Amino acid sequence: MASLKRSVDSDPFAANISSKVYVRSTKSGKVQKIVREVYLRQDIPCSSKLCQSCLKATPRDAAGRPIPFVLSEAPAGTSVFTQGHYLVPDTNAFLSAMDLFEQSSAFYDVVVLQIVLEELRNRSLPLYNRLVGLTQSEDKRFYVFFNEFRLETHVAREAGESVNDRNDRAVRKAVAWYGEHLARTKAKKIPAVVMLSNDRDNLRKAKQEGIHACSLAEYVKQLKDGDRLLDMIPETQDRDVIKEKRPNELLYPEYFTMSKMMTGVKSGLLHQGTFNVSPYNYLEGSIRVPAFPKSLIVPGRENINRAVDGDLVVVEVLPRDQWKEPSTKVIEEDAITRNENPDAEGGGDDAVSEKERKALQEEVRRTHSKTTEGHAQPTARVVGVIKRNWRQYVGHIDQSSVSKSAQQGRKQDTVFVIPMDKKIPKIRLRTRQVAELLGKRILVTIDAWDRGSRHPVGHFIRSLGELETKAAETEALLLEYDVQYRPFPKTVLDCLPKEGHDWKVPESLDDLGWRDREDLRHLLICSIDPIGCQDIDDALHCRPLPNGNLEVGVHIADVSHFVKPNNAMDTEASIRGTTVYLVDKRIDMLPMLLGTDLCSLKPYVERYAFSVLWELTPDADIVSMRFTKSVIKSREAFSYEQAQLRVDDASQQDELTSSIRALMALSRKLKQKRMDAGALSLSSPEVKVQMESETSDPIDVKTKQHLDTMSLVEEFMLLANISVARKIYEAFPQTAILRRHGAPPKTNFDELANQLRVKRGFELSIESSRALADSLDTCVDPKEPFFNTLIRILATRCMMAAEYFCSGTQAYPEFRHYGLASEIYTHFTSPIRRYADLVAHRQLAAAIEYEAVGPGVRSRGRLEAVCKNINIRHRNAQMAGRASVAYYVGQALRGKTTEEDGFIMKILSNGFVVLVPRFGIDSLIRLRDLAEPEPEATFDAENYVLTMSGSKELRLELFQKVRVRVMDQKDETSGKRGAKMEFVKAY
Amino acid sequence: MPLDTSAYSLALLRVDGRRWNELRRIHAQIRTQAAADGSSYLEMGHTKVMCVVTGPSEPGPRRGTTGGAAAGASKAAAEVAVSVVVAGFSSVDRKKRGRGDKRNLELQSTISNALAASLHTHLFPHSVIQVSLHVLSQDGSLLAALINAATLACVDAGIPMTDYVVACTAGSTSTYAAGDESADPLLDLNHQEEQELPGLTVATLGETDRVAVLVCESRVQVGRLEGMLAVGVDGCKQVREILDRVVREKGKRMVLEGTVVKGEGLEDMDLD
Repeated sequence: MASLKRSVDSDPFAANISSKVYVRSTKSGKVQKIVREVYLRQDIPCSSKLCQSCLKATPRDAAGRPIPFVLSEAPAGTSVFTQGHYLVPDTNAFLSAMDLFEQSSAFYDVVVLQIVLEELRNRSLPLYNRLVGLTQSEDKRFYVFFNEFRLETHVAREAGESVNDRNDRAVRKAVAWYGEHLARTKAKKIPAVVMLSNDRDNLRKAKQEGIHACSLAEYVKQLKDGDRLLDMIPETQDRDVIKEKRPNELLYPEYFTMSKMMTGVKSGLLHQGTFNVSPYNYLEGSIRVPAFPKSLIVPGRENINRAVDGDLVVVEVLPRDQWKEPSTKVIEEDAITRNENPDAEGGGDDAVSEKERKALQEEVRRTHSKTTEGHAQPTARVVGVIKRNWRQYVGHIDQSSVSKSAQQGRKQDTVFVIPMDKKIPKIRLRTRQVAELLGKRILVTIDAWDRGSRHPVGHFIRSLGELETKAAETEALLLEYDVQYRPFPKTVLDCLPKEGHDWKVPESLDDLGWRDREDLRHLLICSIDPIGCQDIDDALHCRPLPNGNLEVGVHIADVSHFVKPNNAMDTEASIRGTTVYLVDKRIDMLPMLLGTDLCSLKPYVERYAFSVLWELTPDADIVSMRFTKSVIKSREAFSYEQAQLRVDDASQQDELTSSIRALMALSRKLKQKRMDAGALSLSSPEVKVQMESETSDPIDVKTKQHLDTMSLVEEFMLLANISVARKIYEAFPQTAILRRHGAPPKTNFDELANQLRVKRGFELSIESSRALADSLDTCVDPKEPFFNTLIRILATRCMMAAEYFCSGTQAYPEFRHYGLASEIYTHFTSPIRRYADLVAHRQLAAAIEYEAVGPGVRSRGRLEAVCKNINIRHRNAQMAGRASVAYYVGQALRGKTTEEDGFIMKILSNGFVVLVPRFGIDSLIRLRDLAEPEPEATFDAENYVLTMSGSKELRLELFQKVRVRVMDQKDETSGKRGAKMEFVKAY
Repeated sequence: MPLDTSAYSLALLRVDGRRWNELRRIHAQIRTQAAADGSSYLEMGHTKVMCVVTGPSEPGPRRGTTGGAAAGASKAAAEVAVSVVVAGFSSVDRKKRGRGDKRNLELQSTISNALAASLHTHLFPHSVIQVSLHVLSQDGSLLAALINAATLACVDAGIPMTDYVVACTAGSTSTYAAGDESADPLLDLNHQEEQELPGLTVATLGETDRVAVLVCESRVQVGRLEGMLAVGVDGCKQVREILDRVVREKGKRMVLEGTVVKGEGLEDMDLD
């Protein structure tokens, strides 16, 4: 029998083939050994413009285009490498100092090795994506060199060599090869090839092998603005040194090992969840875990154990005697001085047997099921962090932490940065430029938090500008809420129509743009929007039909005509997700040209639209409906106020006005139907900042008025959204993009229901949205008209957030929109400012067979990713908007003092929270601010009464109306100007 | 873990270091089992298959496998019965495929149809050509490797055929959902690429552009299909070159060893 064996010599390719063997473990814990072929080659270019031999053999893609060479022929030099240099960083350099590489002042001509890219990808996907972004930017000149595939630089792992050592060796070999390769170019000035690494061992070996190598700090010092950049090198490198210094001063308990945590979570003794810090007490966190219906409390610094808000952590339930009531005290970080002593605690935990711990879990469940307020709540301590949620934080340097000498010299100094977000602890920062950074808004990041230091250490990224300047505060806000605010890149602008503002609906009906479009230009269509609205998404019309019914049309800007799937503009819009409205600024989702002109349904001009047309009976029952792409010509763009005036003015009898009146009548009936079905009318304190038109400085704050025309527009938009949701769900049962609003868990209302029962004797029933709506209606205080609104505001805060989802991910009953009491719902009516609407447009267009079904419409995985992103963006946009209003309210109040009425909405043992509806702000008033010395107080948690005696005699209770003095105050800790309230009297 | 297929655009290199139009290393042998009528062994990268052909012979009383081509219906031509056995150790996760596995059945009938179209089965009425394929190791392009191995074994068995049936796979550098119209076509997908990217298997009749098999099980834009198909057909021609060389070398050695007598009309055959 012939042998299947073959000798290596007979194979001409043998030298060029290697294999890569690695082991991976699957989700189920199986270990798999993977063997992959690797073809080694010699045509991978060095990509230096100096090198002629590589240039000749440039690889080409299928269309015959060569890849451009990246590395400059005359790279910048440093004080040591005056001849110019190419950088070759190792994985750790990228892991620890990606911000440095993104600097525009240095770090050009960088060779990213394949092995480094691979390692980075395995360690951190976000960093990998940032690096790939850098390699694609033309001006940074980052080149990915596939060292593993090049014959000369391929390194096989030796017996007994660790993967890390092998990778380090591969990096060194690639650096050495680059050096030799460039030397052969015979150029006048041959750039040095410099390896960047923070690994001492690697640096030492590189020196031995005669390769240029620097640590990050050494390298940065050689640069011109080295001092500034030096601050951006993370702290972690010195960690070993710190540890060696004071091994006895460990402040925090050690984390469990990953395997111990995993086993614990599996057996149900430990619990995993996202850690949240209480907004009122920075030393108390809570964590919601799947095992229990209510959150567990994590009290105290020791138990929080270095977890930062948003981290994914594992907790252990504390013994019963350490359970406590949820904090009724206000504790702010600034109030607690730095020399507080960490109370040594615990240690006995390990002595508790497994059985007892099991019993403890049961106890939690029992306690959770029966507690109302006032009982001890189960507590827990953090035993490990699965995933950090650290990001970049905006803050400012704590003036008090700066030594006098540091303010003048350029000595490196350690200071504290106080993040704007109160839930984030102070960050220790080492910098040489304290003097410049004082009084500025700065961006920092957390590097590490080890057991020996009370606060996390971080490094400086960049300065945003002076505190309290409009530009710095706005940028701070955008950064804090992760809003993409940079101008649109050129690739996006290239997707715009070439005609620019001169674009018009084609005149000839044979034009491609008119294909399958209905001509609705003859209809009397108008739009109703807030004053000054430029991006007009929607317009309406209504006309009587011969049979006595009415034809109503909702016309939505046809954004999907201009934004084609998967081009650069679409990708950018899907990342932005939504337009963000700040008081003085709008961060658009789509470029201005589209948003405010070509798509916007401006009056007197023809525009493309996507229309929903219904035939409604005079009782607002739907007889029929249809969807079509159309061309419309809006007759007028009204503001809500204008439209209201026109409707109310009986002398106006023209056709347009009467059609608005007809719409108004229909909308009332629609609203009534919705209310009957159990829709909630909720409330949130909304205010509007009035600006001076010239300087755009805020001058006054007004509460928003509600006009009938607003609910007119709202009703028809809801109707359109619901109709579209039905249609796209019917066409794409698995992939329709819908919006749901989950029923709130009963426990969310426990506290509010209890408060209402105790204080006012109202029963809040929450079986269904209908029952809740009805019971909210009964919560009326005849003497205080605002009371009902207050309850609605509080009820709103108990609700779940509505979310976008892809229909295949939920069962039909879960589609329900609780607040609107609709079985199915989506967003369709604002495609200019929301990406979800744009997707719905594409799906509807495919559903009515206007265009082919694109992959974005069909691919469920992609839609899920889109939904996830826009849910986050949507929430961030809302929070950014609110924060912007809060900033301007603070500015508007600057230097003014007014007395206003407010209501107590939360009572704590050493303070209370007052909501002032006039400004839509709520603020905490501490007892110690009421009188000097701080009055004695007894807090009756069962009845929500705070009785003070001593320096001030007063009895305060929940929902009480009080008079407060509102003034502005700069909060020294957060650097924000906000409203401060002083108690005047109780009614 | 190495990078995934999305890294292609960085330097026009695939996950295993190949360019877009390169085949993996193909190694083939024929007449590996002396006792069989025809046999072959073929490697395309890490995909390794073995093939044994028995026949044409009289059909036995009991037939273990069924071929799609002429199962019992016509006695005028030989039936091509294909059986594919996938070894449990051939892939990473040791999944066992049963005999009735639908994917297996489809492989079998595809191969059977392709061979029946090229083999001169009408010369052997009332007989069966048994093609037994064994998959020893899998790393993508399985169907293509099976077709190529079966062709070689049929050549070895001396069954008259129009031309080689040669196959290879083609793909595209970006996924369907990415909707990237300028994506490069790829030749000869490995397992990782097959998992992540759209791909098709194409088999042609020898040097002609006549397509004998075209299987596409992934979603891909029509616009990209033409490029993929062209690259695939081109790859088939390269595969034919390789297989042809293997056959000729083996034939040459056999003549030199005196195992066979040089046929008539082959005077010009180069034996050096």
